[in-house]
Amino acid sequence: MERREVSFRIYRYNPQADRTPFYDNFRIAVEKGITILRALNHIKEHLEPRLTFRAFCQAGICGSCAVRINGVARLACTTQVWDLLTGSGDDPILIEPLGNLEVIRDLVVDIDPIMEKLKRNYSWVRPAIPEEEMGRREHLVSDEEFETINAASDCILCGSCYSECSMMGVNRSYISPPVLLKAFRMNNDTRDTLGCQRLREATADNGLWDCTHCHRCTEHCTKKIPIMDGIHRLREEAFARGMTHSEGARHARAFYDDIRDLGRLKEVTLPLRTKGVLGSLKMVPLAVRMGLKGRRPPLLAKRIPEIGRVREIYRRLEANRCGEAVGAIHELPQRPASRGGRCL
Amino acid sequence: MKYAYFLSCINESMTKEVDRALNLWKKDLGIELVNLERGTCCGGSNLDYVSPDHFLAVNGRNLALAEQLGLDLVTSCSTCLLTLRRARHLLDTSAEKRELVNALLADEGLRYGGTSDVKHLLWVLTEDYGLERLAAKVTTPLRGVRFAPFYGCHILRPSALLGRDDPAAPSSLERLVEALGASLVEYGSRNKCCGFHTLLVAERQSLAMTGNALEEAVRAGADYIVTPCPLCHTALDAYQDKALDGRDVSRNIPVLHLSQMIGLALGYSGKELGLDRHMIAA
Repeated sequence: MERREVSFRIYRYNPQADRTPFYDNFRIAVEKGITILRALNHIKEHLEPRLTFRAFCQAGICGSCAVRINGVARLACTTQVWDLLTGSGDDPILIEPLGNLEVIRDLVVDIDPIMEKLKRNYSWVRPAIPEEEMGRREHLVSDEEFETINAASDCILCGSCYSECSMMGVNRSYISPPVLLKAFRMNNDTRDTLGCQRLREATADNGLWDCTHCHRCTEHCTKKIPIMDGIHRLREEAFARGMTHSEGARHARAFYDDIRDLGRLKEVTLPLRTKGVLGSLKMVPLAVRMGLKGRRPPLLAKRIPEIGRVREIYRRLEANRCGEAVGAIHELPQRPASRGGRCL
Repeated sequence: MKYAYFLSCINESMTKEVDRALNLWKKDLGIELVNLERGTCCGGSNLDYVSPDHFLAVNGRNLALAEQLGLDLVTSCSTCLLTLRRARHLLDTSAEKRELVNALLADEGLRYGGTSDVKHLLWVLTEDYGLERLAAKVTTPLRGVRFAPFYGCHILRPSALLGRDDPAAPSSLERLVEALGASLVEYGSRNKCCGFHTLLVAERQSLAMTGNALEEAVRAGADYIVTPCPLCHTALDAYQDKALDGRDVSRNIPVLHLSQMIGLALGYSGKELGLDRHMIAA
């Protein structure tokens, strides 16, 4: 059995006793095949009984042991120490609590804000079956229907995407990736009846349109769920349901229009079309300073040659709109658009 | 080395200097670029919300235009890179979508077959050209200059669609900086988000992201930030004063485009490379 000495550098903080967080270093002998969680357990049992962390299933299912390992969120129970060893083997493995959440102690964070947001955003199925008939008759979901939400249903609420989200890092009120993923999952559940209400909540302030598309949620999902795709699908749903009275939706619409009209983005009026007259007024000073440096889009953007070809594509797609001309294209499939009608 | 060139909307207007710099030195490396004159805006990761069909059709068209030339497509905008690669992936994994898009393209005599790769300028330099060859071309080594590399998002994530650098530990930009004789500073924001894509819808939060990156780069002692993306450049340079407003940061930090940094090492002047167009004096 391969075995070597490995150093761990672990975040320590007891808010009731410590003025500031600090790091402890431990060096232990580790065999190949040992996970970060086993290493943490070893340290707790043999070296530092006060070291505090959460863990339960040891099988990557319960989601409770997510921590930041070498700077990014991962599950301690599915991360092999061996996979993290550098050539020299002398760099310590850094273990810290998840980001964007308050530390309760050491590696344990308070996940209540995630739970609160899940509650506020109707992160459950509200079925069509009346309450009194619940449990008396079945409401079946076919394999095909489940396929749409299969990947999204794998979410174990470990909080890794919450920890790595760019927008969460600067706005704790942001709806957050796991809540948006749940909204996608529930809105595409064939038993559910809350589509419009849930989408309205998701598109409120600090919501769906604030996502920066940094793809950190997808990249760091411990269950390999393409979370960002779920967010894409929700934005598509907002358009399909006519919920387009937001800066984010107007911004997206401008790209659609400009490609048809010019072939290129007409940047000069993009702020105006996104934010409206009042909203874009405060951008004028910066725009003037940029203009003085020559950093300005042409006032009359020129059309690409043969723009008619692009308009013809638009025309044919518009004519086919109801017929699923190109249809669902993303990694996460979506139920046919006909299921989600416009919201009043 | 010949490529189809996807200029990108922002490099045609706000950040013309990216293109100007690249066009100065491309001949020194023997790189030939053929403009996709009839190509359209990629939709900037926005078009697909409005209509996934339009997103796939116009980008299938962009890719087919490169195929018609028999060339791989290169861009120096990371969002164009990801958007085009996303469309390519979706078309390559569905015969049905390919057929539908090709039906829309047939009138123009175009066809998407999946034969043209989509690459970022950074990848062309590190992979196709090679950093050793590039280092041999350097006439003005950038010795003593400390760069803070800023990757941004869409050249790294999602790695399933991009597949070059490890998003958690990228290295291509660092290797390029070293090949030009310059040195590096380490800081945490190099693979984080610049905030550009939400600047118009969540300005305060976006500028907080921008400010975090700028502040870290200044504290790490960098002389310049260098970025492969004109959108990151716009957030970091044009919005720098706003982003640093109210922060205890000792100085501004100039931001170079990848193509300008290379131009400097190949002996071109700051003026030729359009450094005077930046909001923060370089």
